[in-house]
Amino acid sequence: MNLNKYLNYVNFITRSTPDPALMGGKGSNLVKLAQIGVKVPPGFIVNVNSYKMFLEKSEYGEQIKELLRIDYKAKDVLPLSSNIKDLILRSGIPEGVLNEVKLSFEQIHENFGSEISFAVRSSASIEDSSQFSFAGQADTFLYNKSFDDVIKSIKECWASLFSPGAMLYLLQMRKKGIELSLLDIEMAVVVQEMINSHISSTLFTVNVLNNDKNSMYIISTWGLGETLANNIIVPDSLIIDRKDFKIMKEEIGKKKKKSIQNPERSGTIMVENDPFSRKSCSLNERQIQQICKLGLEIEDAFGSPQDIELAIENDIVYILQSRPITTLKI
Amino acid sequence: MKVIGKGLSCASKDEVTGELVYIQTVEDVINLFDTAEGKICLIEDAGTTTLGPILSDLTGIVCTTGSGGSHLAIVSREFDLPCIMNIDIDIEDLTQLNGKTGKISTEEDNAGILYLLN
Repeated sequence: MNLNKYLNYVNFITRSTPDPALMGGKGSNLVKLAQIGVKVPPGFIVNVNSYKMFLEKSEYGEQIKELLRIDYKAKDVLPLSSNIKDLILRSGIPEGVLNEVKLSFEQIHENFGSEISFAVRSSASIEDSSQFSFAGQADTFLYNKSFDDVIKSIKECWASLFSPGAMLYLLQMRKKGIELSLLDIEMAVVVQEMINSHISSTLFTVNVLNNDKNSMYIISTWGLGETLANNIIVPDSLIIDRKDFKIMKEEIGKKKKKSIQNPERSGTIMVENDPFSRKSCSLNERQIQQICKLGLEIEDAFGSPQDIELAIENDIVYILQSRPITTLKI
Repeated sequence: MKVIGKGLSCASKDEVTGELVYIQTVEDVINLFDTAEGKICLIEDAGTTTLGPILSDLTGIVCTTGSGGSHLAIVSREFDLPCIMNIDIDIEDLTQLNGKTGKISTEEDNAGILYLLN
């Protein structure tokens, strides 16, 4: 049965139609990736209707909206952000939304086994926009095991819209003459099967370092991908010829640490990489070829150069995200 | 003028000069919010950076870890800002550089160089 037809607050990643206004940029692109047949971890998107309903109907909704209307300054950001987050986390989720999330959660368990964990990622309506990047501002919560863990992380994602960094971003946009209120931003949340990444990579289908459209740029490391976007480690870097996928330049990064599943509870921990792993390239030639081929297929489907996040578990490549590269000067 | 560090030039290749500021916490970013213009920020491996909001006012970015795929590098490219990632700086305590004048330039093969001017 295609549940999508009966749901208002949730869309399954497969068998949906891309819709950035409803699913946020990240969610909508995942739907498109599933459509073109690349391997995306199964899951669903808690769409912006859920967030709107939450603000409308939850017990602290009015108080939250009151805080979002405050005309704040940079020095107010820390206490205001913390008050908003506290109210969001304390609020219950309206029943209509909760029921659909529960149904979707159970459906994924039924199809893919009850032992799987979930990754919960934000997909804001202005995130990854071409004018001002919100990329990386909002949060990701990994290894959610129970339904309650998933619900808590969905609320954490909503709250991350009002992180100190995000609130400062809006102030900065105001300085530049772009008036955007905290009430204007909407958030969808992506809930997917957690991939136990042995290797995490990001592929830029053109070389963003020097705007060379004849080569691609890959960064890669061991473990989960959160070390790549943040400045936690120095990953391996590869420059690849777009024509024949030959390695033009390879630099082994220090990769001192890696992020892995916390063995005791939800979430992740950082551990040291062993000396051999630090010195070895995290991708082999066959994987590089496979990734590059996939990258060009995705670029072709989206119609522009892409920045693609990948995870490899047991030699299977999963695409976690694809977004356009907006900074090329060609 | 003395070379104090070398890393990967990840965004604009413009040569820029500015006051060096060591940034570690979100409080540092808030304190810098209205005076960020003309500054070159120095960041160590502090995990998630909160520097994004003030990037458009800065003159340059220098970070001791990361790569051209780090979020910081991606947004630096959006603002066409010189950004050196994975820089090896000869000075142990980077706070010593606070208030001094630095220069960023790019050499061959995307090598980003940080100079100390005084």
